[in-house]
Amino acid sequence: MKVTYIHHYPYRHLPEDFASRYDESVVTNPYFELVDPKLVHEDLRSALDEAMYAARAGFDAVALTEHGQSSYDMNPNPDLGAAALAYATELEGIETGIYTVGRSLGKSREPLRVAEEQAWLDCLSGGRLISGFPVGLAYDANVNAGVPPIETRARYDENFELILRAWTAREPFPFNGRFSQYPSVNIWPRPMQSPHPPVSVTGTGNPNTTRFSLQRDLGFNLVVLGVAAPNTAQRIFDDMWRMADELDVDDNPYRAAYAQSVVVAETDADAERLYAKHVEYSMSRGVGHIPMHRFALPGGISPQGLRVLLGQAMSAPTGGQTAPTYRELVESGAVIAGSPATVRERLADQAHSFRIGHLLANLQIGSMPTELTRHNIDLFSSEVLPHLRGIWSEYDGDNRWWPERLGGRPVSTKQADLTGARLK
Amino acid sequence: MTTTSPNQAPAGEKVVATWNNRIRLRFEIRGSGPALVYLHPAGGLFWDEFLARLAQHYTVYAPVFPGISPDDTFAIHQLDDIFDVVLAYEQALRSLGLENVPVVGQSFGGMLAAELSACFPKLFSKVALLDPAGLWNEEHPWSLDFISGPPEQLPALLFKDPTSEGPRSMFPPPSGPEEALDQAVTGIWGFGCMAKFLWPIPDRGLSKRLHRVTAPTLIMWGEDDRLIPVAYAEEFGRLIPHSRVELVPDCGHIPQVEHTDHTYATVTQFLAAH
Repeated sequence: MKVTYIHHYPYRHLPEDFASRYDESVVTNPYFELVDPKLVHEDLRSALDEAMYAARAGFDAVALTEHGQSSYDMNPNPDLGAAALAYATELEGIETGIYTVGRSLGKSREPLRVAEEQAWLDCLSGGRLISGFPVGLAYDANVNAGVPPIETRARYDENFELILRAWTAREPFPFNGRFSQYPSVNIWPRPMQSPHPPVSVTGTGNPNTTRFSLQRDLGFNLVVLGVAAPNTAQRIFDDMWRMADELDVDDNPYRAAYAQSVVVAETDADAERLYAKHVEYSMSRGVGHIPMHRFALPGGISPQGLRVLLGQAMSAPTGGQTAPTYRELVESGAVIAGSPATVRERLADQAHSFRIGHLLANLQIGSMPTELTRHNIDLFSSEVLPHLRGIWSEYDGDNRWWPERLGGRPVSTKQADLTGARLK
Repeated sequence: MTTTSPNQAPAGEKVVATWNNRIRLRFEIRGSGPALVYLHPAGGLFWDEFLARLAQHYTVYAPVFPGISPDDTFAIHQLDDIFDVVLAYEQALRSLGLENVPVVGQSFGGMLAAELSACFPKLFSKVALLDPAGLWNEEHPWSLDFISGPPEQLPALLFKDPTSEGPRSMFPPPSGPEEALDQAVTGIWGFGCMAKFLWPIPDRGLSKRLHRVTAPTLIMWGEDDRLIPVAYAEEFGRLIPHSRVELVPDCGHIPQVEHTDHTYATVTQFLAAH
C-alpha cells in the first residue's frame, strides 16, 4: 500500500460563532472581516512545513488539493504549493511523490497552462509528479470560475484531451476546441516521465466518473464527506469493482485511492482530548459548513443522474442540519481516531473492504495547530504507516498509477490513448 | 401546469425540424385568431391565466426551449451560444409562416424576443417584453440566485407577494412522490439549459444590438422586481427606438401572474393599437 500525506490549507482562526454569523465557508465568507493577514501567512507557511515534515517522516507522497474562494482550503492552484514542495524535497533528497490531487479541468479556462505547469513540476521534481485532474466542485467550477454548469463536463473532456496531447505530441500541432483554440501547441518543457505522469481523477459518487477512470485506466480518488462517509464509500467502491468486472478491467487495488481523516494519540481518550475541537471546527467552520446547493447546480448533472440522486434524497430520512460531533464522526468511521493500535486496525480493515491500494491520509484537520499536526504525523508515521505498507504487496510490481522513479510502472497505453473514453 | 380557464381554447402542438435537423423545436399552440408568439421564461412554459386570456383572441404559438422537453433532454447540447438559439428559432418560426406577427416574451423569453428582433428586425410586428433579461451593469447588479440558490427561496425572489393567489397557483403541491420527482428533475434541468445562455453574468452583448429593433416595443416591468432591477426598464426604453415603458406598481418579476388584469389589459391594448 502507498500512503500519501494530504492536507488542505485552512484558515485556522475563524471565530467560534462563525457558523451562526456566516452562511458558508466558501464564496461569500467575508475576507477582511475574518482574517489577520499575519495569520494567513503563518497558516500557509505551517501547511508547507507540515507537508515537508511528513515527507521527511517517510510518506510515499505529499498531496495538494484545489479550492478557490474558500476559508477551509486557501489553495486556488495546487501547482503553487507543489512547486515549493518539489524544490524543497529535491534539496533534501527525499524520494517522495508530489501528488496534485486537485487541478480541476472542468474549472480551467487555461488548459494549456495546466499542461505547462504540470510538465514543469514533473521536470523539477525529477519525475515524481502524480497528476490529479478532478472535474471540480460546482461552487468552484461554476461560481468561482464562472463556467456554465451544463458545460463543466464537456470542458473537462476537451481540456483532458488537449493536455495529454500537449504532453506527448512529438510535433507542434494546432488545436481547434470549442472552449479553447491554439494555433501551435509545443510546450516547453514536456513532462519528464514517459509517456507522461500517472493521471488520476477524483469522484464523489457520480458513476460516470468511476466508469471513466476504469475505461481510461486512470487512478480513481474518492472523497466523501459527513457521518455517512464510510457507508457511502463502501457502496461506491463496491460499484467500482463490479463495474471493473463488467468492463473486463483488472481489479488491481492500486487503481483506487481514498481520502481519510486520521488522528492518532497515545490512547483513544487522548485522541478525543487533543483533536475533538479541531475536527468539530472543520465541521462547523470548514468543509462541513458548505450548503448543499454549492455542490450541485442545475445543468451540472444530467436528467437521468438527477432522477437517481433526487430519488435517493427524497426517500432517505431527512438528516439534522447541525454539524456532526467528534464522537459521531469517530463512531461512524468518518474520522479514524485513537491509539496507534486502534487506527492501524481500522485502516487495515478499510483497505481490504474498499480494496484500495492508495490511502490519502488527511492528518491536519480544521484548526489543528502545527505542533499538534506534527504530533499526529509522528505517531502515524512511526506507529501506523509501517504496518500498512505490506497490504496488497502482491500488486506492488504492477502499480501503473505511481511514478517509475518511486517504484511504479509507466502508465498504460490505454491511459495515454488520445482517442480513449470520455467523461461526459 | 395547466390553468383551468372557463373558455379554455383547444390545445395543439407542432414539432418543427430546425438547425439543420439537429433540433426538433416543439410548439404548443392554443386559441384562435391571429398568430402571436409567446417565449417562456427560464422556469418553463406554464399556461397561466394571462396566456389563457390571450388565447381567446389570438392563436398563441409557444415554442418549448430545447432540452426542456423530458423526451429530448439532450437537444440542449446542439446549441452552444445565444446566436445558435436565435438562428434555430428564426428558422423554425419562418417555417411555420410566423413572420410579421407579434411576440410576447417574459424574462429569459423577453431577452430572446429582443435578440430575435434585433437580428431580424422584420420578424415581429410588435414586441412586448415583460421584465426581460439581457442587460447587466455594475450600477444595478443582479445575480442568478434564482438558479443557483436554494429552491425554497425562489417564490420570494419572483414575487412581491408570494402568498397571493396568482403566485401560489404557480407552485401547486405535487399529487404524489412520483410527480414531485418529475417536477424537480424537469425544473432543475430546465434551469440548467437556460443557464447556459445566462451564466455567469446574464449579458451577451444585447445592449449593443437593441438599436436594431424597429418594431414598436412595449416594456413592462414590476416595480418591485427582486430578480432583475426595475432600473433596466428605462435602459431597454432608452436603447430600443420605438418603445414605451410601463411600470407595474406593487409587483415582482412576473407581472402576468402577479397582476394579471393590468398586464393583460396593457399588452392587448398595445397589440391592438395602430
